[in-house]
Amino acid sequence: MVRQDLVKKTASGKVFDVFNVVLMIILSFFFIYPFWQQLVMSLNDGIDAQRGNLYFWPRVFTLNNYDYIFKTKGMLDALFWSLARVIVGTVTQLVCTGFLAYLTSVKFFTLHAWLRKMFVLTMYIGGGMIPVYLWFQQLGLLESFTVYWLPGVLSAYGMMIIGAYMDGLSDSIAESARIDGAREVTIYFRVVAPMCKPVFAALAVMTAVGHWNSWFDVMLYNASGSYDTLQMLLRDILIESNKLAELMKDSTAGSDAVKGQAARITTQTMRAATTMVVTVPIVCVYPFFQKYFVKGISIGAVKG
Amino acid sequence: MKGKSASGGNVLSRRFNRFNKEKELWFWSIFAIAWWVVFFLVPLYGVTYSFFNYVPGRPLTWDRFVWFDNFAAFFQMREAPLVIRNTLVIGGLNMTIGFIAPIILALLFDELKSMKFKKVVQTVSYLPYFVSWVVVASILNSFLSSEGVISEVLVSLGLMDKPVSFLTVGPYFWPVLITASIWKGIGWSTILYMSAIAGIDQELYEAGAVDGLGRWGMVKYITIPSILPTIVLLFIMGIGNILNTGYEVNLLLGQPTTRDYWEVIDTYVYRYGIQLGRQSFAIAVGLMKSVIGLIMVFVTNSVAKKIAGLRLF
Repeated sequence: MVRQDLVKKTASGKVFDVFNVVLMIILSFFFIYPFWQQLVMSLNDGIDAQRGNLYFWPRVFTLNNYDYIFKTKGMLDALFWSLARVIVGTVTQLVCTGFLAYLTSVKFFTLHAWLRKMFVLTMYIGGGMIPVYLWFQQLGLLESFTVYWLPGVLSAYGMMIIGAYMDGLSDSIAESARIDGAREVTIYFRVVAPMCKPVFAALAVMTAVGHWNSWFDVMLYNASGSYDTLQMLLRDILIESNKLAELMKDSTAGSDAVKGQAARITTQTMRAATTMVVTVPIVCVYPFFQKYFVKGISIGAVKG
Repeated sequence: MKGKSASGGNVLSRRFNRFNKEKELWFWSIFAIAWWVVFFLVPLYGVTYSFFNYVPGRPLTWDRFVWFDNFAAFFQMREAPLVIRNTLVIGGLNMTIGFIAPIILALLFDELKSMKFKKVVQTVSYLPYFVSWVVVASILNSFLSSEGVISEVLVSLGLMDKPVSFLTVGPYFWPVLITASIWKGIGWSTILYMSAIAGIDQELYEAGAVDGLGRWGMVKYITIPSILPTIVLLFIMGIGNILNTGYEVNLLLGQPTTRDYWEVIDTYVYRYGIQLGRQSFAIAVGLMKSVIGLIMVFVTNSVAKKIAGLRLF
């Protein structure tokens, strides 16, 4: 039974219900509309868009903006580095953090509680931006792809949610494998990890989205631009006006057809198209994965 | 314990047996500990640079030790009062409006009767959380420019005489920032409250109905008191982060002309430590921020313990 049915129905209650539903519809509109407007902008002719009043539907429909940005070299490189860091970052973190969680969940192991405490500590204190930067500089991690994934292979948060899940499993199977002489690595990969699929899925989604969305570490550690990701490209188009001119120049060397295409594109529509390229994968994927996220933060909150 | 009465040789052999059983686990732990030392301990040790006058490429010798000079230097900087003000205002807005908004939204979600409708609205409200701050900044830039949607609508409604480029006007920065932060995070922040509400015993409401509570009465006397521990917990955690607020948006949307309104401690540390190369000074400022944040968590925690009997640790 719904809770509201316990109470006698009143006129004011009904008014509130209507008000609440209307409010939710308005809120939903505000959550969705900004993305819709950018989509409309990105599908509209650039010169025409400058006339303004572009709200719900493209006025002069075109795919030129997308066609054009995918012809620029910067875009394809950025797409490559974004995908590379999502894949490498997520896989390495799951394997390594999962194994760390396993080490902390083997109850007879002398260090298990210590390891857990050591990593929990990293969630609360840290050296901060500059000491980390100077140390990475000394290690030679600046201007490398490694800096995207190596500092993240072990995550205290991941360890906590996977560890909490492993604590809930019965260790009799692992113990019998151990008596049969199986090595710990084998037990982790063959026995324990397969039982933890749901929590791995949750962490995988969170890590992948985090990698896809991160830009500050790109700017900080790979300032030269050799490893720019999509987010960084969008940031450059947003902040540095010369970045767009640079991208435009790429194609002016091309055929007359491409030059004609570039002439119809403006900063506004180009940025909208880039925003969409960055956003669409997330929008397509998140409704299916949000339940894993929800599970993840609930476990994290209980343990934290 | 048995070990004490046994002979030394036995203890040793038992220890050895135990180690033998665990040796593979020890072996793998070495890697975890090595990672911990490299990526946590060494940078943590790096905060000691704040007591030196560090010059890149030169060894850190004791004659470069300057006590608290780098810390004191911050307060002599012309920008210091502005940076502190902006951090406190933005953090304060986040901990007041930004903190209450998700609680209200969660309570409103809870009043929806149709489960399906609730599910859809909740899912929609999570959307902005999943996109990056770069995307949010890009959308804001598009909406708030002088040719943007906001100006167009306000002018056509007659609320403004001429289009305004909002992001170039300093005083608009705070309202823009807090609106964007709430828009991005509100749906997601309701999750913990919703799971707390889901955990409330249904019998409480039935008993409340017998006692003649109306719908508002149930919210006031049952729902809110039941989720109070969650609220306090999140408040304490939020207090610890109050000084860490919003450097991403500030770096993305802040313009040199509006710096007086958006420069916060984190962006200041970035500017001095990375762009201007004053590492020791920047580390000192960052360290002060972290220490104050830690102190605030402990203070809030003990206050919460005293007045409500609730605490984080």
